[in-house]
Amino acid sequence: MLKFFSPTNIYLLIQKLIKFINSIFFLILIIGLTFALVLSPPDYLQGDAVRIMYVHVPSAWIGLACFSVITFLSVFNFVFKIKNFYFINKSIAPIGLLFTCLAIVTGSLWGQPTWGTWWAWDARLTSMLALMVFYIFYILTFKLLNSAELIIKVSSLIAIIGSVNLPIIKYSVEWWTTLHQPASIKITGSSSIHPELMLPLMVMLLVFLLYAALIFLMKYKTEIIRIKKKNIKRN
Amino acid sequence: MISNFITMNGYGLYVWLSFGIVLVSCAIVYFKTMKTLKKYEQEFLAELQSLTLEKKNRVLKTSKVAQQILATSSKVN
Repeated sequence: MLKFFSPTNIYLLIQKLIKFINSIFFLILIIGLTFALVLSPPDYLQGDAVRIMYVHVPSAWIGLACFSVITFLSVFNFVFKIKNFYFINKSIAPIGLLFTCLAIVTGSLWGQPTWGTWWAWDARLTSMLALMVFYIFYILTFKLLNSAELIIKVSSLIAIIGSVNLPIIKYSVEWWTTLHQPASIKITGSSSIHPELMLPLMVMLLVFLLYAALIFLMKYKTEIIRIKKKNIKRN
Repeated sequence: MISNFITMNGYGLYVWLSFGIVLVSCAIVYFKTMKTLKKYEQEFLAELQSLTLEKKNRVLKTSKVAQQILATSSKVN
């Protein structure tokens, strides 16, 4: 099964996936933006400021998801020594950083009209900032270190240490008294968000996921070409 | 109605700025990633073209990725 993860097999699949996502992306983006900016009703408390949720929440979720994947693959790479996971992680990290930064910036823009402040050293906000720092250090290992083995060791260590922050982000709103509201959407149990707000959020999440997948596939394709180019030189 | 859509009942600055920042950042990352990919594809092809015919054939025979890149570039050209 692990043979399936060989760059050659994946490369052929990537070509098709990029084409497919490119063909549907703009249509889904327009649908998402129409729902988020036009069709979605204002919140009874926050008014139209609630529309920021449609870019803030998916950004935060993807930022967290990317780091979870990086941690999982780093541990997996340690056990099974599949070098390909290193290239996957290298391609995912900039996407995670982008979305974490967007979550922080849009959160700040949402905080000003609803809380009356751009920033507070509250547990959720601070732990998200810590996640951004972990991403920066993680990406820097690829830029600053030369030996592949050393990069794998250092980046995996950063990922494993950084993973401690993930449950802190998730449960910070329950463990401490924070300015940030508790989770409105729960995978298990009932969500407190109104269905009329939930639908645009899910469509925007799909838009963000497709975008993240597209960037990942292009970055991963670049990595494969880079490896193959090195192999040509060796021949 | 259009005025309400633009002002978002007083929250327009925050809402439009949020969506604007997200769209612009994502567009920049998309075009930058695309440019890097194209650059590496061109470099790969240049490297392949610089090989002798025998070596080039050997690479193309053994590497499906090289075949794909060459096929894609032929389609584009």
